[in-house]
Amino acid sequence: MPVWIAMVLTFAVSYFFRDRLGLYGRLFDTFTGSIGFALVVFWLFTAIFADQIITFDPIDQLAGMRKKIPGTLVPDTLTAYLFGGDLLGRDIFSRMVMGSRTVLSIAPAATIFAFMTGITLGLPAGFYGKKLDTILSFIANLVLAFPVILLFYLLVTPAVRSTGIPVIVAAVLFLFPIIFFVVLFQSRYYVQPRKRNVYVGLTLILGFWAYSGLAFNQDPLQLLGLKPVFYMDSNLLNIFVSVVFVNSPTVFRIVRGLTMDIKTRDYVAAAQTRGEGAWFIMLWEILPNARGPLIVDFCLRIGYTTILLGTLGFFGLGVSPESPDWGMTINEGRKLLAYFPHMAIPPALALLSLVLGLNLLGDGLREQSLKD
Amino acid sequence: MSKSNTQSPILEIDNLSISFFTRLGEIPAVMNFSCVLEQGKALGLVGESGCGKSTVALGIMQDLGVNGSIVGGSIKFKGRELNNMPQNELAKLRGSEIAMIYQEPMASLNPAMKISKQLMEVPMIHANASELEAWDLALEVVKDVGLPDPERILNSYPHQLSGGQQQRIVIAMALMAEPALLILDEPTTALDVTVEAGIVDLVKGLGEKYGTSMLFISHNLGLILDTCNDICVMYSGEAVETGSIHDVFDRMRHPYTQALFRSIPLPGADKNQRPLIAIPGNFPLPHERPQGCNFGPRCNYFESGECDEKNIEMQEMGDNRHHASRCIKMNTIDWQADVVTTTDYKPLLPGAIVVEIEDLKKYYEISANELLSGKEKSVVKANEALSCYARESETLAIVGESGCGKSTLAKVLMGLETATSGKVSVNGQSVGEKAIGDRSRETVSSIQMVFQNPFDTLNPSMSVGRQIIRALEVFGVGKTEPEHHNRMLELLDLVKLPREFAIRKPRQLSGGQKQRVGIARAFAGDAQIVIADEPVSALDVSVQAAVTDLLMELQRKNGTTMLFISHDLSIVRYIADRVLVMYLGHVVETGSTDQVFAPPYHPYTEALLSAVPIADTSVERNNIILKGDIPSAVNPPSGCPFQTRCQHKHLVDGNLCEQELPDMIDVANGHQLRCHLSSEHLAAMKPVIKLAGNPKVVGDNHDLSKVIAADKPVNPAP
Repeated sequence: MPVWIAMVLTFAVSYFFRDRLGLYGRLFDTFTGSIGFALVVFWLFTAIFADQIITFDPIDQLAGMRKKIPGTLVPDTLTAYLFGGDLLGRDIFSRMVMGSRTVLSIAPAATIFAFMTGITLGLPAGFYGKKLDTILSFIANLVLAFPVILLFYLLVTPAVRSTGIPVIVAAVLFLFPIIFFVVLFQSRYYVQPRKRNVYVGLTLILGFWAYSGLAFNQDPLQLLGLKPVFYMDSNLLNIFVSVVFVNSPTVFRIVRGLTMDIKTRDYVAAAQTRGEGAWFIMLWEILPNARGPLIVDFCLRIGYTTILLGTLGFFGLGVSPESPDWGMTINEGRKLLAYFPHMAIPPALALLSLVLGLNLLGDGLREQSLKD
Repeated sequence: MSKSNTQSPILEIDNLSISFFTRLGEIPAVMNFSCVLEQGKALGLVGESGCGKSTVALGIMQDLGVNGSIVGGSIKFKGRELNNMPQNELAKLRGSEIAMIYQEPMASLNPAMKISKQLMEVPMIHANASELEAWDLALEVVKDVGLPDPERILNSYPHQLSGGQQQRIVIAMALMAEPALLILDEPTTALDVTVEAGIVDLVKGLGEKYGTSMLFISHNLGLILDTCNDICVMYSGEAVETGSIHDVFDRMRHPYTQALFRSIPLPGADKNQRPLIAIPGNFPLPHERPQGCNFGPRCNYFESGECDEKNIEMQEMGDNRHHASRCIKMNTIDWQADVVTTTDYKPLLPGAIVVEIEDLKKYYEISANELLSGKEKSVVKANEALSCYARESETLAIVGESGCGKSTLAKVLMGLETATSGKVSVNGQSVGEKAIGDRSRETVSSIQMVFQNPFDTLNPSMSVGRQIIRALEVFGVGKTEPEHHNRMLELLDLVKLPREFAIRKPRQLSGGQKQRVGIARAFAGDAQIVIADEPVSALDVSVQAAVTDLLMELQRKNGTTMLFISHDLSIVRYIADRVLVMYLGHVVETGSTDQVFAPPYHPYTEALLSAVPIADTSVERNNIILKGDIPSAVNPPSGCPFQTRCQHKHLVDGNLCEQELPDMIDVANGHQLRCHLSSEHLAAMKPVIKLAGNPKVVGDNHDLSKVIAADKPVNPAP
């Protein structure tokens, strides 16, 4: 119920102000765009209000409810297992709703990290070209050529994990957002040292705080005996790192291509004739003008990441064995698909509709961004 | 021609209205447009961008896209109504009876198909010709459009041809079906002037040879004068004046036509005594058109209560039914009245030398593949032994066609590139070897640049004010944010933009306004030297005058040295004090404007001057059409760079031109040129441009030797 209310509100407000909202507002002019947006917003609110929506605890096993068909009443209560019960007697509906949380908390965040990495490397590759570009592109191609699933298996293998490779990869990948923001502020505000110091300082403090927590599980607060703010268990870290690792080369290539195109524009030359530094030109002159295709790709990429997460879960590489991951639920339901199709279908449909929504949204955005 | 009916006009457009439907509602692009095109004649359609001239052409082709539709009027082609013709009949008509030539030749040719195949398709589809017949026809047409070695051309792919050759192929393709009507939409805008002259000559000959009627769309009045019999001037979706070329050019009866002519630099205009008069205000957007006369708000003769009352109809002139104008005060305005100019600027006296270039060389090494290049590296000689200087508060024009190295020169001066060898000094400091990062802040802010393309010169995602402030910050003008903000507002005042524009995004500005912001940004650090790289060539005629004016005003105020890079000799004649003519990286002629525009010429300068169309019926030009295209800078010809196209090469003994690069010779004080021609030959050169009405002038004469000298060149005496 809260989902519907929130959705109606979002749509009403957005539609009313659509003329002022630029690209986002024009989304409502296209049918596909609105449908995609609706699907995405639906799942977003489902994830936010998951606690209010679920009818049962997604991990609770009720022995009497094993393999029950949808709509079966739970003994001693007046509520039903809406989509039936699974092998262990858990409520499929509640698991599906909670599953949206897992997906929507990892997929966008991982995509953002992949973008930061791709952008920080793609801009100089496209801008300077020559050797730097050759080397970086080669590495990107190398990563792209590596079979994704194999990579994941490798990363979660205890032998590999004990070498600390995932942590090292995380340490490298998580550094990029910090570099990105530091350079972003430095290049723009070096002419106003006081402002620069504030921004760069804040970035460094916040960045390294989160960095130590996320990459090494060593939130400074933890050392002081407090509850850590930034924390990721090793399973989650693995998945996160692999998703970022796999996605960033593609982003790198897009950014590199866009940079090569935009750097020939006169306003880039104008910035050079003012004596601007290379990073200012990359981050403030080129990047904002590459945002159109990047936003579109961002939407599509979240969808792709969602599928990837599903695939991982399906292969048992999920966040945790107990968690109501969609991929994992599908895998469990798959075994009895012929007899009890209700187990695998709801999470499969959920995955399908979310990815479809993201793709339609991406298409709608692309269509609208091409119009001007 | 058998296909056409000689009785009725080829094309008759009556009260045509075309609208586009968008989410903002109906936008009328063309309103009540009427014109008649007779058999074998050429009609010119002139107007600024956005006036609807291309929409008319697309309307004739019945190809308006999904949003556009014809909402009224009729288009009759050979007496048949096109508006309600079924699709399959239209398809038959297009290409066989009506052909269209677009601005960008490469966009009209399929890059994956050989030229021969693309040409042969036409008769094979429309006339069921056999492959052999089609080949013969293609060969003949390619010869007709003046391409050398037609068989080789037929066997090549579009990308192997130059822009001029491509456009000739597009024309050839249009001619393959022997159309009765040829629509040319800015066919030469993307080409260089000397190449343009060749195309124009070709197009002119077509009407005579094939009896084709032509609809020639252009913003260039000079071109229309050269090619057309009739003209139709459009403004904001309406035809405002129609008539024969001579009626409209010499006896214009619409204020817009008059204003248009006053804003283009014709011979005789002078920046100090007779400056150009820009049309005030901006072109109205289609959904913001005023009540009554569309031109009203910008018109000098505007009278409220009369001009803004009701829609104004086309009226024919009393004595000439062929000449019509959409002006309510047509008969009350004194059209002969001369322009009253109150301005009489004193010419600026040039000061000390601020820029000096000696023997500058700039070579680029290119290789096809970064990894597999090996030893094979080719060198592009962009600038070759270039020497020149510019003094304070002086305008030095650098003239030449694309690929002549003028932009490279600008880049070296700016520090975007470093010189391969030679000396470049600015204010006595040597800067040639310093890239921009190594220069001091003062040097950087003292040389600034105004770019060519207004749509590209501003960062689309930063507000106008922000971009100017950024320049102030980088140049270290002012310390605090309020200081920056105030200075930015002052700069907006300086370039005559309203202060509200500070918070606007570039896309909300028109081309001319963007160019003004670009100028404001260049002057942010009180630049002493401004390099203007074709600053007005992408702007509409009426806006060009205003922007040129602004540049000169800033120069007067600040004593700026201006390096004006352009291929447009009309504007150069108007704005420059001294001129530097470049060809393939070499300076071929230099001198004061009057010296360069009067004989003796370098043969290239002579050809350039003759190639520029001038929109004045009283001016006669020698028609010198250069053969071929500009050679590639990777493989420049031996000896004189111009020898492959030179029209006077036969006057020099032996193979001197092919063997030796001529030295710069002094022909007058400060006037130098690089040519092997003997002093007698140089002295015998005739002015290229002359005013007609002179009894000694022979009419349109293609043969240079027969042209008799006019008494005086048109160049304004200072």
